[in-house]
Amino acid sequence: MTAYINGLSCISHHNTIDENYFFENLPPQPLNNKLLATEPVYKEYIPAASMRRMSHIIKMGLTAGLMSMKKARSEKPDAIIIGTGIGCYQDTDTFLCSMLDNNEQLLTPTAFIQSTHNTVGGQLALTTKCNGTNFTYVHQNLSFEYALLDSMMLLNENEASTVLVGAIDEITPSLFELFYRTDRIKKTEDLQSIWNSTSKGYSLGEGVAFFNISSTATPTTQAKITGVKCKQHIENSDELIHETDLFLRSCGLQINQISLVLSGNCGDEQMDKKISEFNKKINLPIGYFKTLCGEYFTSSGFAMWLASTIIKKQVIPQAILPDNQIVSNIQHILIVNHYHDKQYSLMCISVC
Amino acid sequence: MNDLIETLKAQIIEQLNLAELKPEDIDPNAPLFGDGLGLDSIDALELIVLLEKHHGIKIQDPKDAKAIFASLQSMADYIIANKK
Amino acid sequence: MSTKVYITGMGIISAIGDSVEETLQSLSSSKTGVGKINHLETFHKDTFVVGEVKHSNKELIEIAGIGNYNRTTLLGFIAAREALKKASINDIKEVRTGFISSTTIAGMCTTELLYKDFLEGKNNTNFIDSHFCGVSTNDIAKHLGISDYVTTISTACSSAANAIMLGARLIKNNILDRVIVGGVDPLSKFTLNGFNTLMILDKEWCKPFDENRKGLNLGEGAAYLVLESEKLVKEKNKNILAQLLGYGNANDAFHQTASSPEGHGALLAMQKAFKVAGINPGAIDYINAHGTGTPNNDSSEGIAMQTLFNNNVPKFSSTKAFTGHTLAAAAAIESVISILAIQNNMIFPCLNRSAQMSDLTITPVDTLEKNIPVNYVLSNSFGFGGNCSSLIFSKN
Repeated sequence: MTAYINGLSCISHHNTIDENYFFENLPPQPLNNKLLATEPVYKEYIPAASMRRMSHIIKMGLTAGLMSMKKARSEKPDAIIIGTGIGCYQDTDTFLCSMLDNNEQLLTPTAFIQSTHNTVGGQLALTTKCNGTNFTYVHQNLSFEYALLDSMMLLNENEASTVLVGAIDEITPSLFELFYRTDRIKKTEDLQSIWNSTSKGYSLGEGVAFFNISSTATPTTQAKITGVKCKQHIENSDELIHETDLFLRSCGLQINQISLVLSGNCGDEQMDKKISEFNKKINLPIGYFKTLCGEYFTSSGFAMWLASTIIKKQVIPQAILPDNQIVSNIQHILIVNHYHDKQYSLMCISVC
Repeated sequence: MNDLIETLKAQIIEQLNLAELKPEDIDPNAPLFGDGLGLDSIDALELIVLLEKHHGIKIQDPKDAKAIFASLQSMADYIIANKK
Repeated sequence: MSTKVYITGMGIISAIGDSVEETLQSLSSSKTGVGKINHLETFHKDTFVVGEVKHSNKELIEIAGIGNYNRTTLLGFIAAREALKKASINDIKEVRTGFISSTTIAGMCTTELLYKDFLEGKNNTNFIDSHFCGVSTNDIAKHLGISDYVTTISTACSSAANAIMLGARLIKNNILDRVIVGGVDPLSKFTLNGFNTLMILDKEWCKPFDENRKGLNLGEGAAYLVLESEKLVKEKNKNILAQLLGYGNANDAFHQTASSPEGHGALLAMQKAFKVAGINPGAIDYINAHGTGTPNNDSSEGIAMQTLFNNNVPKFSSTKAFTGHTLAAAAAIESVISILAIQNNMIFPCLNRSAQMSDLTITPVDTLEKNIPVNYVLSNSFGFGGNCSSLIFSKN
């Protein structure tokens, strides 16, 4: 199954909302251990009356979704499919804290309503008046991949001619605190290039990435999704190479046709052990995308946005490439991702 | 009465996150729902809690809320009539 | 894509029983599982009635026998294990097999007990490993031995229906041969309080489709179906419980939580299901409605049914007065109930109902009906975010 990306939009730590910005003059390492999103002016996309009760993940998701549709020149998608690892955590936290602080009395509904995982999908349907299929996948770091697989299946079944598919996840103060106290976060004094990392932890990121996809190319088509695959478990780097080989064959490709690997190393030496060995063995240029976006459940959405943009611009941000590599004529990009060395995914984005 | 109206204005702006509005922008006699301020059923539930939390009055049936919250004035009237 | 999708096994645990047999026993003797709260620790313990599974976490740990997991994982595993057993699967790895679960609570049932300590700086942070959706799915899949395709859907109260239809599509698209599909949600303070803020809980036993209905009773539980391809069923000479004939998901696009008065999303979802099924609405023998007992849902769903069936609505009932509203698990629990209706030629009653709804012309089935041919059943589930789903089951 393949699909065409006709419009895309990304809100992340860097100014990715600006089409002309492309990571110039950045150091080859995450800027901080907490990479909060650079947010757009929402009132250009969301009426004040609706915006007043929206937490920031809902604003981000709604805006990026609408922006990607605008770029695809699409009024209304046929289906909306979202992937999120954490869901609407700010609202969950607000309601939970209120419930605990007030001993379950005199609670208000807004945060509870907004805490359901499919709130962004619902808001996009409301805003675009889209009555079509509307699913939300919440399966940790494979949430976006499964959302994408479903979207591509809908196109393949002719159940939809355009699908709006998105990846959304947020950081909140309490979430960062939770990750920090469970030793997942890199200490600021240990920040270094992900590919040289010898310490524990990663930079926590947040962001949203939305794609308007269809089964045929249009005048706004930017790139092609050639394949997506998920693996519950990878035993070692040799198995990852074997799975990659099988995956690329199913895409009609061989490993030596891959121009660039966007690798999901997070910067935690132990967690990255298998993927680092894979990177050494695969003998291809490697770009470390989490340098820019940090680690979070749906960072593969950022990776897909980055891959599509690299293909369009034929430029790779220097910050993610070790040793000042030069890579030209970028035809096929392989995205390899993992989270805590559990659940791996492979995606291939190609020129069309 | 005027104090209560001003208090209610501030409470509503805070509870419903109407950050763009100033108290002088709210006409006490204008409809709160539909036209006027354009509040909806979720806001009605928020106002029910506001009434209990800040004014000690409990509305048992959400269907009664429509008449009570018709305007800021009707809300104030209800509070005065029912305050213990 | 003309491959048929059959149900070869099912498992369930809810307020009305720990298994398919116990569930049928309760349904056919009109015995509700809704009652006082026994296990959930909440300020509202004596205020609300719920459909609680009749076991503490300690008891569930023993029944499941897989270790010290949270209530979500335990309930889910127990139901999924029964489903696999009933499907007589000896080697789970013999064909491409998936596990698609759904939940809204996930690990919140544990998180809400530890969060206050965490916020106060105490060392209670273990809940991070169980909090997020997907964890219970992965844990259950691991213990079932499934790894080819494992994912979680979360679309509020339509979740399990969406998991079921995804499973069917994966089989029809020749990605999987067999898939275990369904959902689970435990009771939690978070949802009890959340629904209370919406003022849609009934403090007494709920009355779906009754003029004087006041709201819903929350419930908990889990249910899973084993879906297998036509080819696999023939090859292995499997016993069929029913066929998953049709399915559809649509969005109401009206309001975040309320349904449109005319039930537009519900109507669209049902229409889609009929299109996939390739049958006319007139073929339906029984509708297991979403029927939560809220003023809003029952009106809008009733109107949608009247519209779709041109006022010739078949026999219908809501079984939520038996089980409570089990949120993400609802569609799976009600799928099992729908299949039991088909297998036993029974129509299960809409308990606790007496007064005709003034805005509907239709009346649900109030008492158990036996020896009624039930060949086609429509099951509805509608969730927050305007998410509407319908499933159609047939006898063969």
